[in-house]
Amino acid sequence: MVAGFAVALALVVYGVVGWLLHKPPTISAQPSSTPGVVNVSLQIDGAVGTGPHPGWVGYRVQNASGQWIQTTVIQLPAHSDVHFTVYQYDSGSGFRNPVWDQVAGTVGGVAYLNGKPATYFNDQVGNGIGHSFNVPALGINVPFAGVNGNASNFCNAGPCTMSELHNTITFDIHTGNPGSFRWQCFVPCGLGYLNGNGGPMTTVGYMGGFLKVVA
Amino acid sequence: MAIDYSKATGTGSSSGAPGGGGGGLLKPSIITGIIGGVIGWLLGHWIGNSFTQGYQQVQGSGSNDIAEFLGYIGMIIGWFAGLGALSYPIKKMFGAEPETEEPVTEKGWTKYFRYTLDHKTVGVQYLFGMLIYFFTAGLLALAIRTELLSPTYHIWSPDTYIEIVGEHGTMMMMMMTSVVLGPFGNYVVPLMIGSKRVAFPRLEALSFWFTPISYFILLSGLWQGGFQSGWTGYAPLSVQQGVGQDTYILGFGLQGLSMVCASTNIVATIINYRAPGMSWSRLPVMGWSMLSLGFTMILSIPVLIDGLYVLALDRTAQTSLLYSGHGGSSFLWENLFWFFGHPEVYLLAIPGFGLVAEIIPVFARKPVFAYKTSAAGFIGLAILSFFVWQHHLFQSGMNPDMRPLFMLTTELISIPTGFIYLVGMGTLWRARIRLTTPMLFMLGVYFNFLFGGLTGVYVSDVPINVTVHGSFFVMAHFHYTIMGGVIFAFFGAIYYWTPLVTGYQLSEKLGKIHFWTMIVFFNSTFLPLFAVGLLGMPRRVFEYAHRLQFLNQWVSVSAYLLGASLLFFAVTFIWQIAVTRKPTVRNPWGSRSLEWFVESYPPPAYNFKRVPVVLSWPYEYGDPNALPVADIVNETKDLDPVGRA
Repeated sequence: MVAGFAVALALVVYGVVGWLLHKPPTISAQPSSTPGVVNVSLQIDGAVGTGPHPGWVGYRVQNASGQWIQTTVIQLPAHSDVHFTVYQYDSGSGFRNPVWDQVAGTVGGVAYLNGKPATYFNDQVGNGIGHSFNVPALGINVPFAGVNGNASNFCNAGPCTMSELHNTITFDIHTGNPGSFRWQCFVPCGLGYLNGNGGPMTTVGYMGGFLKVVA
Repeated sequence: MAIDYSKATGTGSSSGAPGGGGGGLLKPSIITGIIGGVIGWLLGHWIGNSFTQGYQQVQGSGSNDIAEFLGYIGMIIGWFAGLGALSYPIKKMFGAEPETEEPVTEKGWTKYFRYTLDHKTVGVQYLFGMLIYFFTAGLLALAIRTELLSPTYHIWSPDTYIEIVGEHGTMMMMMMTSVVLGPFGNYVVPLMIGSKRVAFPRLEALSFWFTPISYFILLSGLWQGGFQSGWTGYAPLSVQQGVGQDTYILGFGLQGLSMVCASTNIVATIINYRAPGMSWSRLPVMGWSMLSLGFTMILSIPVLIDGLYVLALDRTAQTSLLYSGHGGSSFLWENLFWFFGHPEVYLLAIPGFGLVAEIIPVFARKPVFAYKTSAAGFIGLAILSFFVWQHHLFQSGMNPDMRPLFMLTTELISIPTGFIYLVGMGTLWRARIRLTTPMLFMLGVYFNFLFGGLTGVYVSDVPINVTVHGSFFVMAHFHYTIMGGVIFAFFGAIYYWTPLVTGYQLSEKLGKIHFWTMIVFFNSTFLPLFAVGLLGMPRRVFEYAHRLQFLNQWVSVSAYLLGASLLFFAVTFIWQIAVTRKPTVRNPWGSRSLEWFVESYPPPAYNFKRVPVVLSWPYEYGDPNALPVADIVNETKDLDPVGRA
């Protein structure tokens, strides 16, 4: 019985330490054909479809093999240009503060929605804004326009495919010194939580994560 | 007073649970309890899902809170059924006369893994249970300090960080309420008052067996998204959280029930089971502290349980009692919680002070100074603790005119605290102090509490409270009072009573290494946090200003060293009681307290051959003409520690 108790205790320690060490995987930016430039491809699913919270909204990052991995931890090289391509599959709504309509912190202060450049996205027109990519420490804010949630080819669960309705947003940033930078979606999209700010909004791997800039 | 002159709690065969016949794995124990708990959880969860399929508190969460609650309730019932705790009440309920057990006579290690009615076994169960709680929550504290090594480089995500903080805080606060009453109140107080048993052994046993299940339920929250509300569980955040919050409600609620059971038993035991001659004026100081603690628990903890029940209703039955958006009020939670929460602070301080006031005279070789003042101090603390809770809400938008009133009541409480402090100082004054390990820990309590108590006067003041609210200053303040106070007293008490409880003497050298490393690194950890807080660092935030990095790194490294000191204790303590086993001498500290005059160490079943008659006050140190404390002193003084003549 004493041995059984010791085993149970060891399992508790293993479980706690295991939980502490568990974190979403880190995906590195992919090299591009242009020297000094790396690529990052993201997709945003209205429901991630897998894991402990399949109904939560979340991001996926494409790895070197082309697989879409559910994570929000991205490793970038320092002092480099990073080209982001975001496939936005979720419907949209309004911001609580229209200041987030403004593109900021990108190269040229511009982002491209389906190939068209813009410095400002009005969250009150069309399908509104689905999500955003904000890195407060780097001054980056890019809003992502939503898609029609009633469309027949709307993606109900991730990982979504190119045949399903989406917007493609591209933008570039330039990384500085190494560091770990928190990023967060600023659209309160935690459906079902009071004021939309719980659940996926406060959980890394869904609507917030880190840019790990390494030398 | 009622006196139990009988040999035992009863007579009869020992078949049936608990502690009765049967054998092997089928005999009720922690193993059958776990099996029962798993079956109960599956059954409860299945029933919940059957009745309320797809019913979610949080849309898209994929989790059904009703099934979650019913699963845990099934687990609790299964746990107690597996332990054999339900046999007796069920038989009674159906009119049968259950056989009375004599589990107090069970020998060997396995009794510590069973539902037993022996107060000494329950005390040891509590001791190890509380140490497991403490070390688990301590591990989480080190995780917090690891994250805070850098202001910007992160080990954990913000959600994980706040979950760690919430789990650490709740686990520590749950554990601290029982850390003295559980091991020492249950084990020592009946011996101190000359009783052969406790008043309600089943309540006492129940109080302990609530704690492992509440530990597991609370810990399981880690794997279910945690509870980002922290230990205070403020609504509406606690209403909107995922199922991890349910583990907070159930874990905390069960610990509350545990405390009610334990305190009811200790109060009834002290009032009714004192030996002849143990008048109120001869009651050991620790008895007064346990009595004050018990009444405070009985009056405050039901309010917490009520609040948790309301929160559970909001999360399952979709009431809106705590959500102002639908007509409820988050103030309701805040008041219910803190009406328990601030008396709880004194639930931690009172027993710590009780230990200190009990043990210091032994090593000062002087009577406890101003005995009646110390009793008045405990009672004053207990009463006033119910009139201060609103100082936690100074910033909440409460009626500003109420703030001076609660500032005054909070400052008033420093008077009974001062009584107890002065009792200690007076006892030490011109004493022949023996600096043994237990004494060092008790002196450490006074040193640490000086910082915690004085900063408490500051934070009770409205302008300062408003300034430092939610900062590391407050965090440092309450760590000084709780860890610097009750935990130091707890370790001192372990060193003091281990010879009695185990029959083995702990090494003074190893104990002093533990003490000096612990007090140095404790202060090195928490003293800089006052400065960190005053410099503007908020609690529960995993990023902070770069200018505070050095101080935070200092604190983190100190915290690791403090952890190493505690690990040193754990290893040496287990080693000494399990491997080296150096036999103790009889009454190694020269105490006059009754517990040391039992026949053998550890004390035999039913404590005393006969109920002792108390002849004098237990603190007559230094008086050569003082009567022995009881008539059994001369009968046992020539026995060796294992009871041989």
